[in-house]
Amino acid sequence: MSDAKGRRAVTSERYAVGLARAFGGAIIFGVPLLMTMEMWWLGFAMERGRLLLLMGFNVAVLVGLSYFSGFEKTFSLKEDTMDALAAFGVGVITSAVLLVLLAVVTFDMSWSEVVGRIALQSVPASIGAMLGRKQLGAEQDMDAEEERKRESGYGGELFLMLAGALFLAFNVAPTEEVILIAFQMTPWHALLLGALSIVLLHTFVYTVGFSGQEIRPEGGTFLSTFLHFTLAGYGIVLLVSLYVLWTFGRTDGVALSEIANMLTVLGFPASLGAATARLVI
Amino acid sequence: MSRDRKNGDPHSATAANTVPWLEWTASGIGLLLVLGMFGVIAWQAFHGATMPPTIIVEAENTTRTDGGYRVLFRARNVSGGAAAQVEIEGTISAGHDASETSRVVLDYIPGHSSRKGGLFFTQDPRAGALKLRATGYAEP
Repeated sequence: MSDAKGRRAVTSERYAVGLARAFGGAIIFGVPLLMTMEMWWLGFAMERGRLLLLMGFNVAVLVGLSYFSGFEKTFSLKEDTMDALAAFGVGVITSAVLLVLLAVVTFDMSWSEVVGRIALQSVPASIGAMLGRKQLGAEQDMDAEEERKRESGYGGELFLMLAGALFLAFNVAPTEEVILIAFQMTPWHALLLGALSIVLLHTFVYTVGFSGQEIRPEGGTFLSTFLHFTLAGYGIVLLVSLYVLWTFGRTDGVALSEIANMLTVLGFPASLGAATARLVI
Repeated sequence: MSRDRKNGDPHSATAANTVPWLEWTASGIGLLLVLGMFGVIAWQAFHGATMPPTIIVEAENTTRTDGGYRVLFRARNVSGGAAAQVEIEGTISAGHDASETSRVVLDYIPGHSSRKGGLFFTQDPRAGALKLRATGYAEP
């Protein structure tokens, strides 16, 4: 093997640096929810089937995120999967250590309670681990990333919005406040909040000059861009919000109109997440 | 080190050979954690995780304190489903005195888990018959 190739190869040392950044990301992105008490309760109280589904969904999202920005440059589905598993491991270990340190997990608890609490916290922490390289890494390969984003086209665009929406929705949904706000709002409030979400989603992605901003597709008129990206994005936002609310059991036995209110409330942070996903990823 | 391909992935073909041992280790540990965690949660799902709570309250220790008595108890949820806002009530029914009742609300008792708490009484619980029970709960 040539010398040049040997130097280019990802060594264990370089991988270790990536892993350290992953731990950093897991802590930074995981801390808000590690210190949210509803998360501790949901860890053991939420339905097991939904928790299991959430964990599976999380692994799938991690594989996708690894494609766009892992803590390592990846080249194949196999490596994306390996990265996703490593990020999951980092998320679980970080959550476990911090929950023990914060005395949320103690050794006289039953093992099912301990596993439930760690499992739920590992979702935001593992996404944080995956983003850690991108956010904390000095030597990013921006070209390769842009290449990826271009290659993946419309589907990739929608996936990034989904990941961003999921992360922000997940950070807000466990709290009691989402429901309380939904109860307090009149239908007019809900309509206005929904409209504001759509406007912000469109503005953040296509108008204000954030880094990672999208250039309007060639020849695209305002209307086609709006329909193709903004409305499609808000649709994803609402679906992700509904999924997260259902996962936490917030929709059980609730009237359809109340669910719609909750969706616009949670859809607000989720659409900010969808709009800014490109900045973070 | 010129780039021999435009997209800058010159060793993509040999990527499989260059996976460092640390990556295998990290992914391996991740895989074990995924399987372990999924296994435990799935096991719970099929072993009565949705059974409604059953709560048993046992007094653990009674101490004399300033102005009364303190009874420490342990409330055990022997079913799989979690209970919220569990009210624990303790009653002393002494023969000659009026009976005395104290209450406390525990935020949560997860399935197959226990929580501890304490009740205060002015009469000595050891003198009369002390009864401890959970009066109700809310679904989380």
